Amino acid sequence: MTDVLLVARSHLLTALRERVTLFWFLVFPVFLLVVLSLVFGRIGEDGGITFDVAFVSFDRTAGGFSDAIEQVVDDLATPAEAGAKPLLSLRRPGSDEDLAEFLGAAMVDVRRGRLAAIVAVPAGFDQSVRARLSPTAAPEDVPLTLYVGSGNAASGMAASILEQVFAGVDRAILARVGRFDESAIVPHRTTWVGSDERETRYVDFLLPGIILMGFFTNGLFGIPGSILFSRDQRVLRRYWVTPLSVPRYLAGLSVGHLTLCVLQYAILYVVGRFALGASVSFAALDTALYLVLAAATFMAFGFLIASLVRTATAGMAVANILNMPMMFLSGLFFPITGLPAFLTAIVYANPVSYLADGLRASVGVESGVFSPILVVVVPLGWIVVSAAVAAWRLRWDVGR
Amino acid sequence: MTAFRALLRAETRLFVRDRVALFFTFLFPLIFILIFGFLMGDVDEPEATMGLYVAPAASDEILRPILDASGLDRVVDLESVADLHSAVTDRAVDFGLTWDGEALDFLYHPNRVQENYAFSQIALGIADAFNLRRQKLDPILPVTSIHVGSEASTRWFNQMIPGILAFAILSSGLLAVSGHLTTMKERKTLDRLLVTPMPPVALLAAIASIRLVVVYASTLLTLLVSVVLFDLAFSIDWLAFTLLIFCSTLGTMGLGTVIALVVRRPSSAGNVANVLAMVMMFLSGIYFPIELMPSFLRVVSRALPLTYLADAMRFATGVSDMSFVRFWVIVASFLALALLLFPVLARYVVRPGRR
Amino acid sequence: MNARSTADSALMRVTDLTKHYGDVRAVDGISFAVPNASVFTLLGPNGAGKTTTLEMLEGIREPDSGEIEIFGRRLRRIDRPTKQRIGVLLQEGNFEPYLRAREVIALFASFFRTARPVDDILERVALADKARAFVKNLSGGQKQRLAIGAALVNEPDLVFLDEPTTGLDPQARRNVWSVVSDLRATGVALILTTHYMEEAEALSDHVCIMDHGKLIAEGSPRELTAELGQETLVEFSADAAGDDDLGPLDACCKGIRSDAGLVTVETTDLVTTMEALLAWSRERAIPLANMTVRQPNLEDVFLSLTGRRLRE
Repeated sequence: MTDVLLVARSHLLTALRERVTLFWFLVFPVFLLVVLSLVFGRIGEDGGITFDVAFVSFDRTAGGFSDAIEQVVDDLATPAEAGAKPLLSLRRPGSDEDLAEFLGAAMVDVRRGRLAAIVAVPAGFDQSVRARLSPTAAPEDVPLTLYVGSGNAASGMAASILEQVFAGVDRAILARVGRFDESAIVPHRTTWVGSDERETRYVDFLLPGIILMGFFTNGLFGIPGSILFSRDQRVLRRYWVTPLSVPRYLAGLSVGHLTLCVLQYAILYVVGRFALGASVSFAALDTALYLVLAAATFMAFGFLIASLVRTATAGMAVANILNMPMMFLSGLFFPITGLPAFLTAIVYANPVSYLADGLRASVGVESGVFSPILVVVVPLGWIVVSAAVAAWRLRWDVGR
Repeated sequence: MTAFRALLRAETRLFVRDRVALFFTFLFPLIFILIFGFLMGDVDEPEATMGLYVAPAASDEILRPILDASGLDRVVDLESVADLHSAVTDRAVDFGLTWDGEALDFLYHPNRVQENYAFSQIALGIADAFNLRRQKLDPILPVTSIHVGSEASTRWFNQMIPGILAFAILSSGLLAVSGHLTTMKERKTLDRLLVTPMPPVALLAAIASIRLVVVYASTLLTLLVSVVLFDLAFSIDWLAFTLLIFCSTLGTMGLGTVIALVVRRPSSAGNVANVLAMVMMFLSGIYFPIELMPSFLRVVSRALPLTYLADAMRFATGVSDMSFVRFWVIVASFLALALLLFPVLARYVVRPGRR
Repeated sequence: MNARSTADSALMRVTDLTKHYGDVRAVDGISFAVPNASVFTLLGPNGAGKTTTLEMLEGIREPDSGEIEIFGRRLRRIDRPTKQRIGVLLQEGNFEPYLRAREVIALFASFFRTARPVDDILERVALADKARAFVKNLSGGQKQRLAIGAALVNEPDLVFLDEPTTGLDPQARRNVWSVVSDLRATGVALILTTHYMEEAEALSDHVCIMDHGKLIAEGSPRELTAELGQETLVEFSADAAGDDDLGPLDACCKGIRSDAGLVTVETTDLVTTMEALLAWSRERAIPLANMTVRQPNLEDVFLSLTGRRLRE
């Protein structure tokens, strides 16, 4: 027993002492967790994002609708509470600046991505709105103009938020003129399916995925790396002249690997919980068991690769080729609906897809793509097949 | 001259025979594009299916035309609230709406975290239009959106591809020095060259020439594939594109020098280069726009060479716009990096790997 | 062959061990016995089959035919219970670079049922001050000593040392030699391979000379050299001397040979030969540069058996 434990300890110590391994298995997942949470977790949250927007009004009518628009935009540029960030960071023309020039310069900035959008009130706007309100006059529309950059996601978001805001202004104007009955407004509610009172937080959605990613890279790179490099560097042959048997060596490697997985989980959980406010819990027994299943599946997969490949370079090449497709075509980071047939096939063949689904299901953040039976049976199947192939091949290969 | 030619020949052979490196240089960006193209292809126009339940007491007369005009892909009618809940839970529909004559109740799946924002925007639009219509009003506030910028760049994926190309150039350049050269140093094959009269510059020139050709070829290949497979459009300014690739490849090789100088063990240099490239990739506006980052990360992003390279590449491929001055300043900066660091490279890195 | 080792106290006995690769007979029917408390050496040039033989006895290579009897048990291939009692130093091998010296010893100690304390082992191979050093920071000689330590961790009865000093500097070599003699003094049997004649002479109780897979001579170093007859060798450098110059010397000695400017004169009557040599030298005006008078050694034995040198 001590031999297995000491082999495990050697594997663990080596992994922790090699700075590169340390980075990829521990630091990088934490980095990814933090960056993605900070970026995507803030969408939709108040005080989350600030857009740089320019505002210019060519309509000089005082006390009119142009002023109302300006008021609305100003409100958006004021922080909701002290210390929070406003939705818009406004740029306006200076008191002496030529408005047309300002607009021209701002348009260039939008095109170049330095501004998210421009709100321009054209001359004659006020008149145009009044005309629309009057039942008789046939209006010539002078619309409020939003200048938006193409293909710029930030611009797109700013635009849709502003469009929403102005739709609300619509109602306000009509209400002021007495045409819209505020009391007859049909309220709208937001309800969530299931017992939750609000949407799952992004970090709760992300954390199980990142933990899984950590286990995955550990199994895919760590196991083949260790075995293949030790064999190539003639470290293993020193073991084979002692009573240590190949199965016991592999057992020790497995224990060391699983310990590393526990460490990964612990660090990610601590960062997720205490630094990013994740509330998802892994404490339930079925969740803990599922985590073990996931770690074991990736470990078996790593052994499979190590057993099918001759040299360390080939092993790392295979791992690098498989890494991206398996990780991204699994629903871990992007929704996997609406993919063309050949990619969907990969999704269904990919053990990571099932594990991602199953883990999320067990912590209550399920996406429900696969049935609860499949998410256990398919990984188990992978473990059995991988272990069988690896055991058969490694017996002959490793002991050389 | 002869030394350079001979080295060029040797390095070319080495590169071509190294199947692994060959594969990674050409195929890697392609796999990237393929996967991301399909995964993120419709991020700009989400296709949303809505489930609708109208209570028997309520009339859907006003609602229907609004739903038709709301940009939904499909509206599925359901028989009961329970059915609607199931449909949302089972993902038969993306979100749901119950209209009981009193209020509009929008129903979402709490775990579809990445998509709900887009669905809720559609929902708000429906609610606003519905309220107006119900009181027989039209939107009074005329609003029009004008898209500024080239037609080519309307899709997010279009924006992403130049970023991926920039990343490929960066890692190629970094690894040429902090990878290829440092491996030669560690294996002492470099020593064997250095005890001959071969000028170190010849070796650097050979390595750089090959990198330039390879980077250019793989970039073009990737662009071609994205145009063919995903029907994207680019309008490439060939002069700017070529000069950008030339200067940035050399510039990133120069950056690789910094790594090679700082990292003690030659064998770790390649790993450090990979790590830095990976970290930069996430922070330089390639995967998500910089505006979405918190301000302290935005500052970091502005300090990364990859951010500027990606920006410049977007300009050169006609995807987004930039002032000419800015573009050429970026190109010149990379060239300056190269001019500054290549001599350092020749003197301090291309030397025997002994203390 | 002289099987001089006492049959009853042989710890290991090998009979007709063979290994071939295609047409090449790497090990061609070797037989010998290793007695207790002694140093048994396989001596031969590179490619003689020494390492192949040893690897079959260590259990990492499968013999094609032959029998191995070790610790009184007849085996075709070395099994796990046997491995508990032997210690092995492989010719080529490495340790995990990121482990410390004492972690390596502790790891190997865990493979055996009984093991000495880690610090004892490190002390024994003079690595006590390097206990916390990482393997990747150890010098070649230190790594070799660590490997020897790993081979001794279970207090083996029989130790295999495959080329233990190849590539080491003279100081490191002397360190290894003293470890070997200390071990022998504690009653351990050692089987060692080398192509260094001095090593075989300095350490061994019993030497087997191998060439092209076959055993060509066996005995203690003294016995082997004695078989050359009671002769003395006189050597000197004489680049200028051609064959016709040397011809006349034939009469005054047992044999004479010249090899790359080094003239070796074998004689059973030293005085007469010396007189003749001095006269010859004065006559031909050929100086007797770097002259030595010595007893024959194993190199000479090998030369007389094969016509080639141990080290090409």
